[in-house]
Amino acid sequence: MELELKVNKRNAVVKEVKRVGNILTIAVDDVEYEVDIVKVSNQEFSVLYEGRSFNIEVIESKEPKHYNVNTLYSKFDVEVVDNETRYRQSRMQSKLILNDNTIRSPMPGKVVKVFVKPGDIVEAGQPLIVLSAMKMESEFKAGQRGIVKEVPVKEGETVDNDQLLVVIDDIQEK
Amino acid sequence: MEQKPIKKVLVANRGEIAIRIMRSCREMGIETVAVFSDADRTAMHVRYANEAYNIGPAPSSESYLNMDKIIATAKSSGADAIHPGYGFLSENSRFARRCREEGLRFIGPSPESIEMMGDKISARKKMIAAGVPVVPGTTEKVTSEAEAVKYIREIGLPVMIKASSGGGGKGMRLVKKESQIASSLRAARSEAKTSFGDDALYIEKYIDSPHHIEFQILSDKYGNTVHLFERECSVQRRHQKVVEETPSPIMTPEIREQMGAYAVAAANACQYEGAGTIEFIVDDKLNFYFLEMNTRLQVEHPITERVVGVDLVKEQIRIAEGFELPFRQEDLKQSGHAIECRIYAEDTDNNFMPNPGTITHITEPFGFGIRCDGYVYEGYTIPIYYDSLISKLIVWGRTREDAIERMRRALYEYKITGIKTTIRFLERIMDTPDFRKGEYNTHFIEKNSATLLSEAVYNKKNEDIALIATYAQFMSHLEDSKKTNAAPSEKKETNWKRQLRKFTSRI
Repeated sequence: MELELKVNKRNAVVKEVKRVGNILTIAVDDVEYEVDIVKVSNQEFSVLYEGRSFNIEVIESKEPKHYNVNTLYSKFDVEVVDNETRYRQSRMQSKLILNDNTIRSPMPGKVVKVFVKPGDIVEAGQPLIVLSAMKMESEFKAGQRGIVKEVPVKEGETVDNDQLLVVIDDIQEK
Repeated sequence: MEQKPIKKVLVANRGEIAIRIMRSCREMGIETVAVFSDADRTAMHVRYANEAYNIGPAPSSESYLNMDKIIATAKSSGADAIHPGYGFLSENSRFARRCREEGLRFIGPSPESIEMMGDKISARKKMIAAGVPVVPGTTEKVTSEAEAVKYIREIGLPVMIKASSGGGGKGMRLVKKESQIASSLRAARSEAKTSFGDDALYIEKYIDSPHHIEFQILSDKYGNTVHLFERECSVQRRHQKVVEETPSPIMTPEIREQMGAYAVAAANACQYEGAGTIEFIVDDKLNFYFLEMNTRLQVEHPITERVVGVDLVKEQIRIAEGFELPFRQEDLKQSGHAIECRIYAEDTDNNFMPNPGTITHITEPFGFGIRCDGYVYEGYTIPIYYDSLISKLIVWGRTREDAIERMRRALYEYKITGIKTTIRFLERIMDTPDFRKGEYNTHFIEKNSATLLSEAVYNKKNEDIALIATYAQFMSHLEDSKKTNAAPSEKKETNWKRQLRKFTSRI
C-alpha cells in the first residue's frame, strides 16, 4: 500500500515494502526504513528504529484526514493526500492570497472588544478586536490598509480555536 | 484562648490549589465542600470534594469572587471554616471581615493584617518602624509632579513608580531619565486607578539585576512566629514566576539568619496569624530589602514543605483552630534541595499565548522524589475563564545537582497533549548553563531567550518516523472500518480491557 502524506511544505510518499509481524519495512520517499512498530493504545505507537525507542501519538484532528502527530520534541500536522484533497487544494490555491486579510482566533477565548464594523476603513496596525483567554487579553491588529468586509463575531461571544474573527478587503482605488 | 476543632471546610477556590487543600483536610479527617462556576462542573476539585455546590456563572466576578454566594453556601452546607487558597478572595480584607461577622472561620490572617500589608505605603511605614530594611524611597503618597521630581532627585535615578494598592506588575513604571517622570507618573496613575480603584503612588529606588527571595513564615494566635527559610523565585517572565527553588543558590548561612529574623519581625509587626510570605529584593552584593508581604498561601509553597517537612495547609488549619505551633525555630532544618516548575497551558512558540482546550493524553511523572500538584485529566476541557496554571511539578534531591537531574528526568516523563504547555520550555531552562551554575537573577529568561525560545531543530529522520506512525494509524483505521462493516461484534472491547491496555502501555 502507498500513501501520500503532507507535512509542513513537504509531500512525501510512504510505501509499505514488507510486513512480518511487528517488523515493517517501509519507504519514505527514497529512504527505506525497517522499524518495529506496535500500537499501544488507541492513539499511541511504540516505534523501535535502529535500537532507539520512539513513543508517538497519532491523534485524528477535527478536520477529516488530518492527524496531529506528537513525538517528544516535535509536533507535526500530517494530512493524507488523496484525489479529493488534491482537488480541494487546487481550488483553494487562488483563494489563499486572501488569507493575509483575515484574522482568525489562535486560541479558544472570549471576544472582549470589537473596534470595527463592516464598511470601516482601517490602516495597518489599527486595533480590530480584543480576545481574552485565561485572564490575558490579546489585541489583534490590521495587517494592512483595507476595508472591513465582515465581522462575524460580537462582544461577549465565546470563540473556538481558528474561528474567523475579521475579514478585510483591499480598497479598490480609483 | 480555647481550641475549637474545624469539622468541615469550604474551599473557595478551584484548580490545583483547591485539590491540594482538600488533600490535607482528608488526612485530618475534615470534610470538604467545593464550590464551582458553570464552567467548572467537570473540574477535578468538584469530583474530589465530599460536597460540591454551584455558585454562579463562569466569569469569576460572578462566582469565585461572589462573597454573598460563597458565605451563603458555607452556611447552608454546615461548613465552619473557609479556606480561600491563593488569588480570588485570599487577600480581600472585606471577605475576611464578612467571614468573622458571619461566625465562619477564615483560614488566614485577620482583616486588619491583610489591610495593613495590602496597602504598600502603610506596609513600608510599618516595616521601617519595625526596623526591617525597605527599598529606599518615599513613605507617603506622591501627589504632584513637582513633589515626584524632588523625591526622585533625593533617591537618585533610576526609580520605580508603584501603585500603593498594586501587585502583579500592574501600575508600575520604571523611570530612567528625568524627562520621563511626568508621562510615567500619568501612566502609572491611570493604570492603578483602573486596576485597583486607587491611584495612590509611591516611589522606590530601582534595584538593578535583582533576585526575588521570599521567606515563609507561620504565626500562631499566641505570638509565636517561625520562618521556614527562603525560596528563590528569580526565574520570572513578565512578573510571573516560572521556576522556584530552595535553598537559594546565592544564600549564605549568615544572610539567611538575618533575613529570617527580619521576616519574623515583619510578621510580628502586623500581629500576623497563619501562613504568610515576606518578599525581599536582593541585589548582587546580597543587600536585601523588604518588598511586600503576601498574606496567604503561595503557589510555590510545596518546595518549602518538601525541604522542611511541614505540611503548610495543615499548620494553617491548626492555627485557625487555635492550636499553638508544634515547633520552635530551632526545631526546623532544611534538608536537601527542592525545585518547582510551573506548567502553564501556554504556547511558548507564540509569545506565551494562553492555550486552553481539551486534554487528549496525560502521563504524569512518578518515582523517587517527585510530587505533582495538578488538576487536569484525560478528556478534561480547560475553561477559558481562569488562570493558565495547570500543574506544579516539585522534585527533591539530596543536592542541587541531584534535584536538577531529577527535574530533567521528570519533565521528560511528563507528557500532556491536546493543548500546548510550557513543559519543553522548562526542560530548556534546566539545561541552561546559567541556571545549572545557579548564577541567575530576574533577567534570566530575557538574557537566555535565544536558547530558551529557539524552535526545535528540523530533523528529517524524526519527521519520517512520524510519517510512518501516521501511515500505521491510517491503516489501522482502515482495518477497523472494514471489521466494523464485516462483523460489528468483533470491534467491541470491554472498558476494563481498554483500561488495562492503557496501564500496561505506561510502564
